[in-house]
Amino acid sequence: MILPDNRIMDRIPEIKPTHRILSLREKTFSATRYLSIEQAKIITRIYQENENLPVILKRAKSLAQSLLEIRITIDPEELIVGNRTPDIRAGVVFPEAGLSWLFREIEMLPLRSQDPFQVKQEDLSYFQKTLEPFWRGKTLEDDIYETYGNELKAIEEVVKINQKDHAQGHICPKVEDWLKYGPGGLLKIAQEKHRRSTPESKNFYESVCITLEASCKYIKRYSIMAADLAKDQPENELKKNLEQIAHICLKLSENPPGSFREALQSVWFLFVILQMESNASSFSPGRIDQYIYPFLANDLKTGRIDLLIALELLDALFIKFNQIVYMRNTHSAKYFAGFPIGFNCTIGGQKANGDDATNQLSYLMLKAQDHIRLTQPNLTARLHKNSPEAFLDECSRVIGLGTGMPQIVNDESIIPSLKAAGFNQHDSIDYALVGCVEIGTQGNYLGWSDAAMFNLVKVLELTLNDGKSMVSGKQLGPNSGYLFNFSNFSDFEIAFQNQIDFFIQKMMPACEVVERFHQIHLPSPFLSSVIDDCITKGIDVTAGGARYNLSGIQAIQVANISDSLAVLKKLVFEDEAIGKGQLLKALKNNFAGNEPLRQRCINQVPKYGNDVAWVDELGARWVGYFARKIKMYKNFRGGDFQMGLYTVSAHVPMGFYVGATPDGRLAQTPLADGGMSPMNGRDKLGPTAVLNSVLRIPSMMASNGTLLNMKFLPSLFNSQEDRRKFTSLLKAFIGLPIHHVQFNVVTSEELINAKTDPESHRGLTIRVAGYTAYFTELAPDLQDEIIKRTTYGEA
Amino acid sequence: MGKHDQTEGWIFKIKRFSIHDGPGIRTSVFMKGCPLKCVWCHNPEGINPDISIWYNRKLCIACGQCVEVCPTKALKLTYDPAPVIKIDKRSCHLTGECINTCPTNALQFTGYKTTIDESIREIEKDLAYYQISGGGVTLTGGEPLYQAEFSSEILKACKQRNINTAIETSLYCEKDIIDRILPYVDLFIVDLKIFDPSQHTLFTGRSNENIIENFRHLAASEKTVLVRIPLIVNITDTNENKAAITNFVFETNEKIQVEYINFNPLTENKYIQLELPYLLKKEENSNNML
Repeated sequence: MILPDNRIMDRIPEIKPTHRILSLREKTFSATRYLSIEQAKIITRIYQENENLPVILKRAKSLAQSLLEIRITIDPEELIVGNRTPDIRAGVVFPEAGLSWLFREIEMLPLRSQDPFQVKQEDLSYFQKTLEPFWRGKTLEDDIYETYGNELKAIEEVVKINQKDHAQGHICPKVEDWLKYGPGGLLKIAQEKHRRSTPESKNFYESVCITLEASCKYIKRYSIMAADLAKDQPENELKKNLEQIAHICLKLSENPPGSFREALQSVWFLFVILQMESNASSFSPGRIDQYIYPFLANDLKTGRIDLLIALELLDALFIKFNQIVYMRNTHSAKYFAGFPIGFNCTIGGQKANGDDATNQLSYLMLKAQDHIRLTQPNLTARLHKNSPEAFLDECSRVIGLGTGMPQIVNDESIIPSLKAAGFNQHDSIDYALVGCVEIGTQGNYLGWSDAAMFNLVKVLELTLNDGKSMVSGKQLGPNSGYLFNFSNFSDFEIAFQNQIDFFIQKMMPACEVVERFHQIHLPSPFLSSVIDDCITKGIDVTAGGARYNLSGIQAIQVANISDSLAVLKKLVFEDEAIGKGQLLKALKNNFAGNEPLRQRCINQVPKYGNDVAWVDELGARWVGYFARKIKMYKNFRGGDFQMGLYTVSAHVPMGFYVGATPDGRLAQTPLADGGMSPMNGRDKLGPTAVLNSVLRIPSMMASNGTLLNMKFLPSLFNSQEDRRKFTSLLKAFIGLPIHHVQFNVVTSEELINAKTDPESHRGLTIRVAGYTAYFTELAPDLQDEIIKRTTYGEA
Repeated sequence: MGKHDQTEGWIFKIKRFSIHDGPGIRTSVFMKGCPLKCVWCHNPEGINPDISIWYNRKLCIACGQCVEVCPTKALKLTYDPAPVIKIDKRSCHLTGECINTCPTNALQFTGYKTTIDESIREIEKDLAYYQISGGGVTLTGGEPLYQAEFSSEILKACKQRNINTAIETSLYCEKDIIDRILPYVDLFIVDLKIFDPSQHTLFTGRSNENIIENFRHLAASEKTVLVRIPLIVNITDTNENKAAITNFVFETNEKIQVEYINFNPLTENKYIQLELPYLLKKEENSNNML
């Protein structure tokens, strides 16, 4: 471990952001957001001009032309430059993936309450007259629905198949290589490969070369622009800054970075270009504190910069992470308010040899979070049994600020789980978080982590009702009998298993269809240039070029499954205290006129989250079954399926599909939050009991990622002594087989006030589920759900 | 109070992740029974050593099932005008039928009988958290020394398992009880409320001579002691009282620390549920900090 530089690190809590940073932060949010179709026009033109070219070359040329043509801007105050649109936070239209929602909603975009975008009249008319008609029937989405729409519809109440109308992100590129070679160096490698390519790989390599060559030119455009702007500036700081930008960008257009600032700038260009190629959620930088640290250490040693300058540069990068947003449809925007685009940065953790990897940069990034307090980046701290005390303390301090970050992940639990999933030792120990809580290795892995969400609670509901949905009345699953047909609990469980099997069988071909059409419509040569082993193999990342090719499916939701099965087992089958017909009827009627029965379901059987082994084990058993079952299948790229236990914020919309459940949950209300969390308000014994319940759920089998939300009172962070207690809870967490935990530090009263008086609470951020959002911008049902979550730390 | 077997005792709550009663992450065991009747008591359900039934009207859905199952017809559904359950304490035989039936847990016993084994099983669930945080177990109440035998056995069992122990007490007890538990306690948290004996009698129902004597005795031991003064407006938080207690502690043993504890304003509701008179008014609550 490298000890923090005492002179500066000790006074880190007092260091304030500079005026420049505050000004950049302010400007990021004051600008009006517009819909941007500039790139869509370029893409459309290229596709029109090159109708007969293979898709991968059309894609490469589209990106290349965009890199050369798209208007760029530089704010003279900026330390880190680059964006994919001239306007900050523009909503980019990306036609290849799908336009149907935008076609329906474009005129409402400026008017919608959640994340609105202004639309210029000429853009609206171009979209409606030219863009949409040209792409109709040609997009990823169109092909998926044309081929498999009915099948997707048939299972939608149980299985939500994702990535149907946008490119697949959720990936950590190999930033280390990008920094080592620069786009120019990577280009030379690809050109060499291209010369020796086979007929199968020729187009792939050519596409990679096209995009890398254009990337160099794109970076150079910033150099030229900065130099031009500098000319017009009087002799001052801004002029000096612009000259420096010109110098840095010129260098980066041809060579790898040498300094800390150059390295940060280079990283940012990589993510801008990735977004220009794919417009996808969650290209995650991964372990910035590891691959950037050598640059920082060298600059500090040579005296080129000090830690204060380094911190300002980091602050500037953190602001940049908020300048690219991912425009979602109206429904989705309510649950992913405030553009959680998933620039997940992971700090801490271990080196390849198992030593602690925490360094000065890890601390500086926590400080940058303290300074910026925005929803991006999504900051994740990796802890392990040898994490330094100072790092744990600083994590606790920053968590106590209430931004929900850093979220905490546990090396001691995740690394073994990755090894069991087939990752080698080196890659496992180098893991980072992707997007929200998805686990990935860096630079060699297309995890397809959000292939689908499988609603086990819905399947349980169907099992009670002979396969028929209590919400839509449709026969969705096989006729496996009604609750009153089962003479004992194990017969019921057999029927449950059969229903699960039925829907898994339906889900797998649907996942395959989606992946197949991604390969057809959205090959991604630029992304492939920074993912091992695409270049070696000559295969695009969407076609299986990555070293690891898993797909993740989330099992939803362990708390409701545990609680509902516990009620059935104890009250219905064992004690016969509630009649089977009586319960079924009550569930179908959403407990109408039978509140006492609902209350008995809630109060007379223990619930998940209260450290009651037999209850927790019911849930554990079924997610374990699910994980084993999906592992029997291979995905379209030849990789395994793996389970995740997280819903992000889908517990609200997914709950909408589910009727009343035996745990006393009312029909169409939210499921338990997070993934691993207890049902809100049902955990009565505090955080240690919750952790003890969660540790019984086989995280080991959830190598795709897990999510546990906890809410604490701010008073727990008031004094150093109290904070130490929180830190020791983190330490205890490291000793448990649980992957992830994140914290909201807020009182329920403040949230209630914020809901009724949003104007005075605009800045209040909340950890929803693997991402942070502005509380006042969330959908009201999601707000209510967060308010109801149990708060810990009362006297 | 009923007679208790050596290994049996009465408690009213076990609270895990208790973080305000001693070092680290702790489990607090709340023991039934207290010889004092402080008018501001935070846990009035712990004063009476005998159990009774308490009714939480907020949870009640007025389903009336409790009325039907009571074998002695002690419950009645009345309207004021909102529906509310009335319990006739004289006809209640504490059969617990109503509690078992109540679907919302609006009816509860104010305590339950447990054994050392059972308590230890609960306590051990958070062993990992005690070890990492330097925490352990805190006996509180009620007055843990009121059930001296049981308290001393729990403490002993904890020490056998290497669990850190604390006890939160008023020290109102026979002196030999202190000697008996002394070997098993790592930290004494002593609530000294009022120094003036007549005031003490007025607000707690007992004089404090025995407490003062016990405190001197305890302070002479090598044990770690922390004194807490609950701040109650115009009763304990007067400058004279605070100074008197602080001086007394300092003169007795200058190593002993004194801290002030804020009054918990949520308490009034408990009195309502227990149908006990609440002698303090909300606006008198103090928020002073040391």
